[in-house]
Amino acid sequence: MNDNELKLLEGLRCLAADGPREAPASVEHRLVGELRRRSRVRRRNRWLGLGAFGAIAATLAVTLWIRTAPVDQKPTLARSQAPIAVKAAEPQPPAAVAPAYERGAEVAINFYPLPDADELPPIESATIVRVQLPMSSLRLMGLPVTEDRAAEFIQADMLLGQDGLARGVHFVR
Amino acid sequence: MSNGLTNGDGDLLRSSSRGDEAAFLVFYRRHQARVYRFALQMSGQPEIAEEVTQDVFMVVMGSSQKYDPKRGSITAYLYGVARNFVLRRLEQERCYLTALDDPESEFADIAADDHDTLRDLTRNERIESLRKAVLALPPAYREVVVLCDLLELDYAEAATALDCAIGTVRSRLHRARALLTEKMRAEERCAV
Repeated sequence: MNDNELKLLEGLRCLAADGPREAPASVEHRLVGELRRRSRVRRRNRWLGLGAFGAIAATLAVTLWIRTAPVDQKPTLARSQAPIAVKAAEPQPPAAVAPAYERGAEVAINFYPLPDADELPPIESATIVRVQLPMSSLRLMGLPVTEDRAAEFIQADMLLGQDGLARGVHFVR
Repeated sequence: MSNGLTNGDGDLLRSSSRGDEAAFLVFYRRHQARVYRFALQMSGQPEIAEEVTQDVFMVVMGSSQKYDPKRGSITAYLYGVARNFVLRRLEQERCYLTALDDPESEFADIAADDHDTLRDLTRNERIESLRKAVLALPPAYREVVVLCDLLELDYAEAATALDCAIGTVRSRLHRARALLTEKMRAEERCAV
């Protein structure tokens, strides 16, 4: 290293030691202000995020509830003698398809529980079968039937459970 | 070269980026002088140095994940960020030579304010002359002089800060010193 280089290094050392050594305090004040502002924004965003999450969760919960909560369409039998309202596709008459059935519409049918039906297992899947019954069978339901009409037949819908056993009956006419 | 984070810098960085004011202040006070002096010696303008220091620590408070300890020390990382901001500012203002032509430079004021003796005047003139010579260097040479000679980083840390090879730092430093020596000799000849 020659004299010029030594002089240069000496000069650089002096230069390094010269001048202000730290940033002004105003820089620190501005940075702290910015940090506080960001913290406020972060807190606000956190609450907004939680609120948005809650709103989304509530919307999802309501949507799921609406989709899963509709009235159970499985026909059930009440343990009382009161008629049971069942929503079902109107059964097909033996001769022709009923207009409501063609449209796939649902109709509410009141089924009268058959005697001892409440001792059978609960209905998991049901079938409705249209049959013709003697009018005398109405007496099983506790309905009055005159002797002169007891031999006549009446159309009825039978509600059968998954085991094929009848749970209820609906008299069509 | 020092490894990654020292004395809890990692914790301070993470806490700072989460908004912990106390942690940020500890980290800032530990490192601000280096960043400020680097920016000042690179730009020659206190205003730019202030803004760069502020920008660097804004980055720090923004995200600690930008720093990868595997790539070098926190000091080298901060110098690297500061260097990018300085070069951007100098590019924007096209003021590489402004300080050289500005007789009202803050450094000149500082030098003239405090010293009266002829000896000190001569010494200050020499320092001022050298400062101008450093500021007149092309940025690629100036930054190695500032980092290695003025801020006393080792070559490896300077290489990390400048994102280049150690050999590049050595060769640039050698060339920069040669340019400075030539410049100072020329000024001495003019003075005589």
